[in-house]
Amino acid sequence: MSWNAIDRKTVPAEEMGPGISEATKEKIRSFFPRYPSKQACMLPALHIAQDELGYVSLQAMRDIAQVLELPPAAVMDVVSFYTHFWTHPRGEKMLMLCRSLTCELLGSEKLRARIEEKLGIGDHETTPDGKFSFMTEECLAACDHGPCLMVNEKMHKCVSVEDVDRILDDPASDRLDIPRSDTYDAPPKA
Amino acid sequence: MPKITIDGKTVECRENIPVLRAALEAGFEVPHYCYHPGLSVVASCRLCLMQMKMPHPKTKELDWAPKLFPSCQTPVKDGMEVKFDSQLVHNNTNHVMEYYLINHPLDCPVCDKAGECYLQDYTEDYGPATSRMVEEKNKNPKKDIGSQTLLYQDRCVLCTRCVRFTQEVAGTSELTVINRGNRGEIDVFPGEPLENPLQANVVDICPVGALLDKNFLFQQRVWLLKPTKSVSPADARGSTVYIDVNDDRVWRIRPRFNEKVNEWWISDESRFSWQHVHSPDRLNIPMIREESALRPTRWPVVQEQIRAQLNTVASDGGSRVAIVLSPMMSCEEAWLLASFVRQSAPQATFVIGYVPVEGTDQTFPKGFVISAEKCPNRRGVETVIEQAGGPSASWDEFLTKAGGGEYRFALVTGGYPKAWIDSTLADTLRKIETVVLHDVWASALDDHLWLQLPSATWVEREGSFMNADGLVQPFDRALKPLDGVVGDGQFYYELAGHQGLFRSRKVRELMAAELPTFGEVFVPREEPEYAH
Amino acid sequence: MAYDKVLLKRVGTPNSVSIDTYKADGGYQGLAAALKMQPGELVDLVKGANLRGRGGAGFPAGVKWSFLPPDREVTYLCINADESEPPTFSNRVLMEEDPHQVIEGVIIAGYATRTTTAYIYMRGEFTEQYHVMQKAVDEAYAAGYLGENIQGSGWSMNLYVHRGAGAYVCGEETGLIESLEGKRGWPRIKPPFPAVEGAFRKPTVVNNIETVACLPHILSRGMDWWKSVGPEHSLGPKLFCISGAVNRPGCYEAPCTITMRDLIYDDAFGGGMRDGKKCKAVFPGGLSMGVLRGDTFPQRPAGSKIDLSEDHDELDCILDFEDIKQYGMLGLGTAAAVVVPEDVDIRDVLVNTCRFYAHESCGQCTQCREGTGWMYSIAKRIRAGAGRSVDLDLIEELTNNMGMMPGMSICGLPDGAAWPIRTLVQKFRAEFESYIAQQHAGSVEETIRRVNPAAYELPILGGRQMAPAT
Repeated sequence: MSWNAIDRKTVPAEEMGPGISEATKEKIRSFFPRYPSKQACMLPALHIAQDELGYVSLQAMRDIAQVLELPPAAVMDVVSFYTHFWTHPRGEKMLMLCRSLTCELLGSEKLRARIEEKLGIGDHETTPDGKFSFMTEECLAACDHGPCLMVNEKMHKCVSVEDVDRILDDPASDRLDIPRSDTYDAPPKA
Repeated sequence: MPKITIDGKTVECRENIPVLRAALEAGFEVPHYCYHPGLSVVASCRLCLMQMKMPHPKTKELDWAPKLFPSCQTPVKDGMEVKFDSQLVHNNTNHVMEYYLINHPLDCPVCDKAGECYLQDYTEDYGPATSRMVEEKNKNPKKDIGSQTLLYQDRCVLCTRCVRFTQEVAGTSELTVINRGNRGEIDVFPGEPLENPLQANVVDICPVGALLDKNFLFQQRVWLLKPTKSVSPADARGSTVYIDVNDDRVWRIRPRFNEKVNEWWISDESRFSWQHVHSPDRLNIPMIREESALRPTRWPVVQEQIRAQLNTVASDGGSRVAIVLSPMMSCEEAWLLASFVRQSAPQATFVIGYVPVEGTDQTFPKGFVISAEKCPNRRGVETVIEQAGGPSASWDEFLTKAGGGEYRFALVTGGYPKAWIDSTLADTLRKIETVVLHDVWASALDDHLWLQLPSATWVEREGSFMNADGLVQPFDRALKPLDGVVGDGQFYYELAGHQGLFRSRKVRELMAAELPTFGEVFVPREEPEYAH
Repeated sequence: MAYDKVLLKRVGTPNSVSIDTYKADGGYQGLAAALKMQPGELVDLVKGANLRGRGGAGFPAGVKWSFLPPDREVTYLCINADESEPPTFSNRVLMEEDPHQVIEGVIIAGYATRTTTAYIYMRGEFTEQYHVMQKAVDEAYAAGYLGENIQGSGWSMNLYVHRGAGAYVCGEETGLIESLEGKRGWPRIKPPFPAVEGAFRKPTVVNNIETVACLPHILSRGMDWWKSVGPEHSLGPKLFCISGAVNRPGCYEAPCTITMRDLIYDDAFGGGMRDGKKCKAVFPGGLSMGVLRGDTFPQRPAGSKIDLSEDHDELDCILDFEDIKQYGMLGLGTAAAVVVPEDVDIRDVLVNTCRFYAHESCGQCTQCREGTGWMYSIAKRIRAGAGRSVDLDLIEELTNNMGMMPGMSICGLPDGAAWPIRTLVQKFRAEFESYIAQQHAGSVEETIRRVNPAAYELPILGGRQMAPAT
């Protein structure tokens, strides 16, 4: 009929991935009063879903679409537009390395090489043990302390190649030393 | 009506339309991709930029502004002055066209759109002859996105017309843009394909060869196709269409703009309503019962036989004669048949034929309607019957009476896109002594028929249909009838005693004397030459 | 240079993020003064102060407010904290160190515009800053500065922190609005402008964090103080960021009278070049505004006019909203400078710059979508030692038709992409040419496919990885 075309009409169940929990849906609904439209809860919903699952699966997109009363394509559209949402599983620790001009001038390429060497993964990949995922980011807005490396929510500043080893080995490298707000977090598992 | 000046020429234009539309309507060729009059304006293709006179920020004198404005987004205002024919504008168009081709595969030789592709046309008219891009091109996957459509992402210019169509006209929002920047693609959510009753319209509005009709894939080069103006028989809305024909074969049906009915769109039913035209199962020889079997005969014999038979059974005025006028008939055919029958059988019963109905009317967000009534001309035939006077009956009444053996003779017309006489119906009609069936298909009633006449499909006929709103719209003949078949119009024309060639326009003039409704047909406005 | 810091005064002081220390330092006085006025008076006041927007375009905030239709029923206020312009971090410093100053500014702006719901749109990369801001917002609610009947004024406003998820274009005001509405951040066509039809199709004001942070000070310190800071056309204190190869990278506050040279070499600011190197180039106003030649180039002869075609040191550029344009810059932008030292290959800078815009282009307008990607490919090839002189001309031409002048595309991103790339190629042409001269014959043909291989089957969603590392 045509040259090799990818079938988008059907999707194998295993590719749909996990869905979001009822508690997460309820959390998403708690954002409704903030906005005059349900659709506006899209980004909070995706953050919360990603917090629960580690990434935004196709099933999660469907679930969110249902909660927000939107076609699932509208959710996929948004997910794919923003770089923070992953559509394949992420590791426990998300390494985000700034590659913008300042950080590059100050040596972020060396950090990248070290991370890729030590973990054996490239951009947008996850270690086989599921501990780390790595991605590069445009400016993290901490240029005064470049080069910067974020581990989940924690920003590591003025990172040297030696620091990379230390950060990767430190189990608490993603711990914040300020009080957190859990507004955008998925509800804790029962 | 506001007056605006385009390239030094002052033109009058409609209120509240964008300058782009006004220019197209005034006959200017302005390249554009993302703008479509039936969809919202996004002004993203940046091809239709124009120069405009603006008050100078300091002196307040009107002068050409240094920047260019998107003409699709600028509404017309009385007295405004714009320019499309200028170096600045041409430079912009030239550059944009170069951008469009940097990752385009240039596979026109195997592209169905070639010949009606606006990437080809605009590149030839406005674009550079060569590309300065020496890097390798990106290759995108081809995607099977729905039962009728394929997406060749390589060729897409991301005008988002298709996305807006599914959101705004169909209201189903299956299509969307994914990713960002030059990684952008059109896609559906996996497992939620493009499936709506208007889906194939995205193929028409795609200005390039990205969205393709599976039924038309690799079938024909479009420059070989000859379009004929027609009206869709798929439902009672009477959507106007083009029938594209080559080599005595229909290859596709496209919407024809109609401001009163379907605007730029047609339903998939209308689009694919031609498939039966080329069915090998169609009847193509008139048959007459001789010695208990149907045997081939000739058309002139058929006419003589019908006249003779009618004279016999209608000696009492025809009270036991029924003439079933199918809602698939054109107004002209119905009128010719009715007026012929009324001469010899003033008491014959005229029956409005079987009206297929499926579900209820479907209305879409921007007002497009798919009628539940799957025939084009119920109202036209009813009007003819009403005007003809004398006895008439509904289909159900006819069946009851026929089942009660009240009729001795019936002429039944069909013409439906598929065989419609099931065994129950056949059993009822068997109660009529002499049955003439003028239809496309063989049926369970064949063993009882006296005359079996092959009918032409609407593609092979000309005439007019009256739609559900009472609008009479003419359609032309796209193909000559199947070998052995005489067009229904021609047959009734001769049966009614006329000589020469059946021309629907001529017949409508005759009809208009009795039925002023048919004196004037509605022909939709033509879309401007350069609009698409 | 003696200058009394205002916006950054509390930065670095103990527990600067708490509402108690903020109030002890005279915080929320500006709001008290504002609530004594009528909203209309407040708009006129800010209009009179000619407070130019700090987000990049420099549009006067008071004028923006006055575009709101007078008979509106609902108004939304969006505070733009999507600080994505490399290398800008002044908003981060404000939110991280003095969140209540920002919140006070938001409340004043909200009161002036009769807002009932305000959103702080914060980029997704701000994590710690988000927690700080959210806590400060909670404190402000508890203290009655937000919510119902604020400080007994009869006026109520809610403030929510809305988190983005990584898209530069959401810093554009209509991109921000679309993103806030839960869609992809594709900027809208204008008109209608947000003041008439913005978020949720209602009148909306979008202001930058730094802009609103100035408001409490205008009210508490008075107009005379405000007008005494900086030149007539660029009034008020301004935050300057400097990063890169300098000794004291950071965010500094100054009136708009300092030069680029001051910012790099003055001990109050950058404190000189790191390791005593010279400065080859500097982007003075964020990446998008363009590049200045540094002091590796000879000084312009005294008394001569600025001639951009000459390779002269351009560090004497005054960092205000107007003077900077003489040097071929698009504007002051975010006033965030990145200093490129002499030993950096200018081709790397070009690749980095091109990559940024190719990655961040939203993909609506054709020129921007295709042009940024194309220039990135060319830049990569030039860096790989396979450039051609014609490539430099080509890049210049592409930038010219992408962003010939602001306003040719839906948003300003292509202008912002065109300016730095064009000025880089123009001002450092000699260096590019010298690399090209060193290439061996045939290197271009050898390199093309290696550097920019065709990406077969660009990833799509579901199973496969999502975005290639552009």
